[in-house]
Amino acid sequence: MREEKKWLKFRIVTVLAFFLVLFVALVTRAFQLQILSAQALKTMAARQHLKTLEIPPERGIIFDRNGEKLAASVLVDSVCADPSKLRNPREVAEKIGALFGIDQATIDKKLTGAKNFCWLARRVSPEQAKKVEALNLDGIFLIKEPKRFYPNGELAGHLLGFVGLDSSGLEGLELKYNHYLQGAPEKLVLIRDAKGKKLHPQPDRPEGEDKASCHLILTIDSRIQHLVEGQLKAAVRDKGARGGYAIVMDPRTGEILALANQPGFDPNYYNGAAASPGKNSAITDVYDPGSTFKPFLVAAALEEKVVKETDRIFCENGNYSVGGRVIHEAQRKRHGVLTIREIIKYSSNIGSAKIAERMGSERFYNYIAKFGFGSKTGIDLNGESAGLLRPHKSWTRVDLTRIAFGQGISVTPIQLVTALSALANDGVLMKPYVIKGVVDRKGRVVKEFHPTMARKVISPATARRIASIMTDVVGAEDGTGKRARIENVNVAGKTGTSQKFDFARRAYSSERVRTSFMGFFPAEAPQMAILVVLDEPQRDRWGGVASAPVFKNIGEQILNSYKTHIRERQPLEEKDVIPPPKKAVQLVAASPAPNAAPSDAAADEEDESSMPDFRGLTIRDALRKAKGKNIEVKVLGNGWAVDQRPLPGTPLTGVVSCVITFSADQ
Amino acid sequence: MKFNKQWLLSFDWALLVIALAVCAIGVMNIYSAGLTLTSARLPLYIKQIQWILIGLLFMALIITIDYRLLSQYAYFLHGFAILLLVFVSFYGYATHGSQRWIALGGFTFQPSELIKLTLILSLTRYFSVHGVNGALYGLKDLLTPLAIVLAPFAFIVRQPDLGTALMLLIIFLSMILFVGVRIKDLLISGVTGLLMAPVAWYFLKDYQKDRILTFFDPERDPLGAGYHIIQSMIAVGSGGLLGKGYLKGTQTQLKFLPEQQTDFVFSVFAEEWGFAGGMVLAILFLFLVLWGLKIARNARDLPGTLIAYGITIMLFWGIFINIGMVLGILPVVGIPLPFLSYGGSSVVVLMMSMGLLINISMRRFILLP
Repeated sequence: MREEKKWLKFRIVTVLAFFLVLFVALVTRAFQLQILSAQALKTMAARQHLKTLEIPPERGIIFDRNGEKLAASVLVDSVCADPSKLRNPREVAEKIGALFGIDQATIDKKLTGAKNFCWLARRVSPEQAKKVEALNLDGIFLIKEPKRFYPNGELAGHLLGFVGLDSSGLEGLELKYNHYLQGAPEKLVLIRDAKGKKLHPQPDRPEGEDKASCHLILTIDSRIQHLVEGQLKAAVRDKGARGGYAIVMDPRTGEILALANQPGFDPNYYNGAAASPGKNSAITDVYDPGSTFKPFLVAAALEEKVVKETDRIFCENGNYSVGGRVIHEAQRKRHGVLTIREIIKYSSNIGSAKIAERMGSERFYNYIAKFGFGSKTGIDLNGESAGLLRPHKSWTRVDLTRIAFGQGISVTPIQLVTALSALANDGVLMKPYVIKGVVDRKGRVVKEFHPTMARKVISPATARRIASIMTDVVGAEDGTGKRARIENVNVAGKTGTSQKFDFARRAYSSERVRTSFMGFFPAEAPQMAILVVLDEPQRDRWGGVASAPVFKNIGEQILNSYKTHIRERQPLEEKDVIPPPKKAVQLVAASPAPNAAPSDAAADEEDESSMPDFRGLTIRDALRKAKGKNIEVKVLGNGWAVDQRPLPGTPLTGVVSCVITFSADQ
Repeated sequence: MKFNKQWLLSFDWALLVIALAVCAIGVMNIYSAGLTLTSARLPLYIKQIQWILIGLLFMALIITIDYRLLSQYAYFLHGFAILLLVFVSFYGYATHGSQRWIALGGFTFQPSELIKLTLILSLTRYFSVHGVNGALYGLKDLLTPLAIVLAPFAFIVRQPDLGTALMLLIIFLSMILFVGVRIKDLLISGVTGLLMAPVAWYFLKDYQKDRILTFFDPERDPLGAGYHIIQSMIAVGSGGLLGKGYLKGTQTQLKFLPEQQTDFVFSVFAEEWGFAGGMVLAILFLFLVLWGLKIARNARDLPGTLIAYGITIMLFWGIFINIGMVLGILPVVGIPLPFLSYGGSSVVVLMMSMGLLINISMRRFILLP
């Protein structure tokens, strides 16, 4: 019995040891799989049940200031092939080729070059897509792709630019703001089961919302843009011009309301466009501004008190020899003695040259630079040119006298309208801009752009004088710009004809010209600054004749359609419209009174019972002015006043304080 | 019922509690494995609970019958079980291309499971009657036991049910090694067995050959025969230390894992509970196995020892082969994991086995007339 027990014990212990060894083996294996290889196997698990779908981003919409869509994306079909699944590549190449007019060899090349995927035709029409579906070929399938669509065709085409096949911006705003518009592909994580068919979106993972595309809101008013383009197109056609530009700007803010180029450009069909499709000439082209430059000369001279408005200058009867070269008047007119006012009104070259001579190169140069010529305006668009302004030290006397009437200096249309706006905006130059803001897909504001003051160029008083002088150009019966006259509204403007420099003859050509008209209205409280330029018109080469009516038509239609209040009511009732100082209201009525020499002091004579205009003043001057009227001033910022609340002209009854914002942006 | 009080005192509560705990884990795990399976029929975890309850009834029945009595009628029981197998061969109910089940009302029963138990009883009966008094058995002595195992083996291979057939052989080998065989005779039979192997290979079905080849190289056919084992290893490994959480195993719930409720039930558990959960289960299993060995050692007589040993070794091989297969260290053979795999017959037979262990355990001190 004892023997037997011993026998049993030995065997049981042996079995026990055997069990333990094998258990340890299992635990070791489990450890190896679950601890050591866990990460690799987790990855394998994820790889087989998680599938990440990349959904191409929907490109942001470009809206105008009123919420009108200027560019949007729609989904259209593209035809692609999986060459590995093609049964009969030859037949496929034949059928697809015939459908899209692609030649056989091209398709063959595509099909043999790719393993599992190749594009055959991108963004085809719905009819074509249907035909492809009807063919029902193995290995040929359709994919939805976003296509950029510009609902208004040519409208603002140069400004908007266009996108390429991969939906990224190639030109214009589409390029410049591509990072906002494009957005990152949305990644959607899906779970698939072993059969691979059921795809459940995984709820745990949030979508990359912050990378979604954003919408762009422009300062452009598509209604104004539309009529500007229409007018410009008609004028280019009627006058047989090569092209033209027109820009409408709000001088108070620098917002571009319309910017048009001719010939037009439809970004929907950029492939068919010319060599440099969609080039925005209004900001890239440089040209000699011609007579439109004269107001800036006179503004500088008045500001510097080199001349007075009533000064009389002898205009040499049309022949003025400077440095061995003779300056003539346009159209060989002969002027005798003209006042400064008349020099602008009749656009006298000789008078301008003489004013410039009185100013001297350095002072004149400084003002030209302050008006923004020779440097980029900083508009939020790609490709802007700086123009050409040579340093004054290299100017000869001939250069000085020619620059006085806009020859020998090159400017861009955007520079010119921006400088014009400074004249209209009490001498404060605003930075032009076309983007009002960026909003995300849920309408939240991502970025907002506000009017930016570039610098103060001339005093408000001088600005008003210039406005008054320019009103004569349009308002007077013998003004050069009388064709720009708009009924019941005071228009300040200036014509200009710039001869193109003929490099072959090394002289300015009188055949090939750019004729322009720039102006703003209402002269007392400008809300619109407009520049119209026609390139090489075959008829009516002189600015007053060809471009002024375009300006007039644009202005008329803006007033008729959208800004009727400017004409119908007194601006005082319009909340955000700057009411005119009392004096300025009579600008038109006040035909050049010989001795009404306005000065800074004159501008101070304002209605005692209403809020004075502080804008353009330094803090010190503003405080002094306010003290005289017992107004408590709250000062924000420093530099020159750019904004005030309440607005000037507000009745002072009960109002005893005013918040003035100053800015030193120079 | 004169020993009633003594019975209660010597009842092996620990064994019962641990076995039921493992059963509970099994039910919970089957619930998770069947969560995404849509079937109009009764969910399997409910059926498993029913089988466990039936198993408990049989367990109680077995505990009341002295194991020596069972041992005496072992051949009769074995014969009855073989008859059932024969019956299955003709009238059985087939699924998965294999005819294994007898339908009884709403339930189906697999006689091949019962054979395991009657085999252990019959071998016990043979070795306790034909004692060699501490000496080793020779080849001649093993002819009858060989007949005892080969009779059902043939029918089971025919079904075909390679896993169970293999199990019978393994139980048989484990038993004869335990009672002791002469080394020379063992070598002879071993060599004969090896020579027979190519013949056996010839008789194997293609899918069975595939499984064995796949064991040596799982990447051989990753979407075919290798698929099961690769998916199982991914499931176990991706569970990591703490698992993906109950009902959250992606391999299980997305049905990448095959045979989730039967052969690969441990992968489900390891994926959702991780290495930590697997260790808990392993410790429970180890306890059962060691407890069984303890009962074998402490049994009052040889039949008790042999029956307890046989049951323990059956339990052990089931656990080891199944988990080893799931972890990719053994070939895929259809051997269920005791208590965890869904299967009515398996659960009932296991409960009966536990009943036998308790039976032996509580009768070790009782002096019977």
